[in-house]
Amino acid sequence: MNELKIISAVDSDKKNNMTHLDIEKVRLKKSILEMMSLTQKQLEKSKIAFLEKDNELAQEIIHNEKRINAMELSIDRDCENIFALFQPVATDLRFVISMLKINSDLERIADLAEGLAAYVIDLEFPISKTSFELTKTSEMFDITISMLADITVALDKEDTQLARKVYKKDVELNTINSNASRIIKDLIIQDTDSTRRHLFLFSAIRKLERVGDHIKNIAEDTIFYIEAEILKHGQKK
Amino acid sequence: MNNARKNKLKDKAFRIWGISCTLVGLILLVIFIGNIVIDGIGRIDWAFITNLPSRKPENAGIYTAMMGTIWILGITCIISFPLGVAAGIYLEEYAKKGRLSNLLEINISNLAGVPSIIYGLLGMEIFVRTLNLGASILAGSLTLSLLILPIIIVATRESIKAVPSTIKEASFAMGATKWQTVWNQTLPASIGGILTGVILALSRAIGETAPLIVIGALAYVPFAPQSPMDEFSVMPMQIFNWVSRPQHGFITNAAAAIIILLIITFVMNGIAVYFRNKWQKKIKW
Amino acid sequence: MAEKNKVVSNINRVNQMDLEQNNAAISSDKALGKIILQAKNIDVFYDQFQAIKGVSMGIIENTVTALIGPSGCGKSTFLRLFNRMNDYIEKFSLKGEIIFDNKNIYAKNIDVEQLRKEIGMVFQKPNPFPKSIFENVAYGLRIQGIKDKSFIADRVETALKQADLWKEVKDDLKKSALALSGGQQQRVCIARTLAVEPSVILMDEPTSALDPISTAKIEDLIFQLKEKYTIVIVTHNMQQAGRISDYTAFFYIGELIEHGETKQIFTKPVNERTENYISGRFG
Repeated sequence: MNELKIISAVDSDKKNNMTHLDIEKVRLKKSILEMMSLTQKQLEKSKIAFLEKDNELAQEIIHNEKRINAMELSIDRDCENIFALFQPVATDLRFVISMLKINSDLERIADLAEGLAAYVIDLEFPISKTSFELTKTSEMFDITISMLADITVALDKEDTQLARKVYKKDVELNTINSNASRIIKDLIIQDTDSTRRHLFLFSAIRKLERVGDHIKNIAEDTIFYIEAEILKHGQKK
Repeated sequence: MNNARKNKLKDKAFRIWGISCTLVGLILLVIFIGNIVIDGIGRIDWAFITNLPSRKPENAGIYTAMMGTIWILGITCIISFPLGVAAGIYLEEYAKKGRLSNLLEINISNLAGVPSIIYGLLGMEIFVRTLNLGASILAGSLTLSLLILPIIIVATRESIKAVPSTIKEASFAMGATKWQTVWNQTLPASIGGILTGVILALSRAIGETAPLIVIGALAYVPFAPQSPMDEFSVMPMQIFNWVSRPQHGFITNAAAAIIILLIITFVMNGIAVYFRNKWQKKIKW
Repeated sequence: MAEKNKVVSNINRVNQMDLEQNNAAISSDKALGKIILQAKNIDVFYDQFQAIKGVSMGIIENTVTALIGPSGCGKSTFLRLFNRMNDYIEKFSLKGEIIFDNKNIYAKNIDVEQLRKEIGMVFQKPNPFPKSIFENVAYGLRIQGIKDKSFIADRVETALKQADLWKEVKDDLKKSALALSGGQQQRVCIARTLAVEPSVILMDEPTSALDPISTAKIEDLIFQLKEKYTIVIVTHNMQQAGRISDYTAFFYIGELIEHGETKQIFTKPVNERTENYISGRFG
């Protein structure tokens, strides 16, 4: 069905220049962008659910996770098919490899968002606003959400400059994060009854850090397929 | 001496041998024609061409013989061309391949080698006597047609065989019937070879005297034929007749007649070759 | 040893079941699309030699079906059953039926010429007629007795456009088709088949005599053509089958080993022989 929409959207002259492989690549990219959008929504919902202890919203997030898992499987299958049917090389090859990896990273991000939602339901009492302020939890959420929004645009428009910005933003995230263990320790000492809640908060912060890492991976994979440049493991430019 | 040098020597040796053989043929032909031309060219004038035969060499002309030749050729062509080509097409395209058709193919080739006088005897029995056509041009043409039919059939079959089967396959795959394929593809593609065969066949017919003698072509015909039922003479006969006379003047006449005959042959061949090349241009495998 | 054999034969039996289910699914699943050509229990003999054994297969409308397999496996023979081109081979005989347009095309009273107007064919070596480009494409119409000049000119133009050749030749349609390059000649052959507006186009290794660029052009063309036509293509190039076909049928020594969606055959073939052939281990 997607295929037909794409073909009719492209004008007839262009259609003659698009090979079967091109059409499949366009479909694949669309699917990834859709998954990015879904994942971002999950993340946004998990921010609200976590900060406001909204159990209903949390249930929604957990329910939606099924859809994202199904999408991941479908995108994996599409990549497998492209490899098998077309034996892509050069840019096409890098593109499919990147989409495969981005798929995996997105699934992990959505999984982490679901994890946060599970925490919301597990928590008996809400975490205090002060704790959130001290640990800058809200900012962390905002940074990851904006990183994800930016990388979606970067992938769509093939903007490697934007992708690099996103890559660097992860540093900001890690900085906020570096004080977290000390702050949490203090909060627990102040009020030992709140230990369980604050341990959850600590785990949540770790989760958000991992979300940032995954988005950083997505940025690297985007740059890899467009420029054939590898940013990871210190091979920076 | 090593192999490479041996091979080069063999190559050169054959080249020399080949050129010699060709030259021998050419030189002999030049001598022959030259001889004839020298002997006869002077004798050719308008009178020679338009005169009727006579006992006096100076007055003798080849008019009747020439007209007889042209009539015979014309009617032979009209009879044998469609018959031979149609038979060739049928045998090659329509007839079932098998032992019978192989036998047929061999026998037709053999017929081309049968001495022409046998055709004369056959013609006399069937056309002159049984069908009561008398010693007419029609009988002569029918006899000559029988003679050259095998040549035309074989040439037609060979030309058709040379048309790539992929062309026929493509035509069938488009829903054409066998006849449509033959008419639209096979024939146009093989027309060159077929015409060559017809040229060869007619060239043979023009020179055949024996069967016509048996039929009853006359040596002395004082009139040009007006219809296919008339009696006739042909140029080879006239030439033969003159050569056997004692007077030297007739020898000259014979030479002159040979020149005319050669001219007719060359012109005929030329026209046919022209058409063959014209059609052949469109077919470039 | 006996244990191992038992396991192996169990796997084969399971595979056989999958295969039958697979083939049955293709043959009967209306949701996939209308079946336009159906082969039922086909056996082909050349004298005593059996070239095709018990093949049943359905071709779905507006799809590209690729027939693959090692040389001599019968795929070309099978293809030619659909337009009865095997009729010209001596000692050819057939058991079984091929249903097209609700009729068995091997029945006694079938108009073979009409069949071939509905089911066209493109051959391995480009074989344009030794005529002009125009006359080549117009041939199919002329042999039907069509005389209307503007009608023929229209159809020729449409066919050449569909074959992606119009722009290259429109200025000189009187040029001999033999003066074109190999890839162009093959497109003339495709155009001439399209001009009669068949419903099925059979292609017998249409690009194996062409260079890679011409091959790519024709593959793109096939991909576009399937919107309006149904295409069955024999190819010895598996990658080509992967690129352009929706369904693939794998033949081996006259038998149909596996038939299914190309995606499935190339990622999870059911039969071990299919897997070996596809990964280049034999053939």
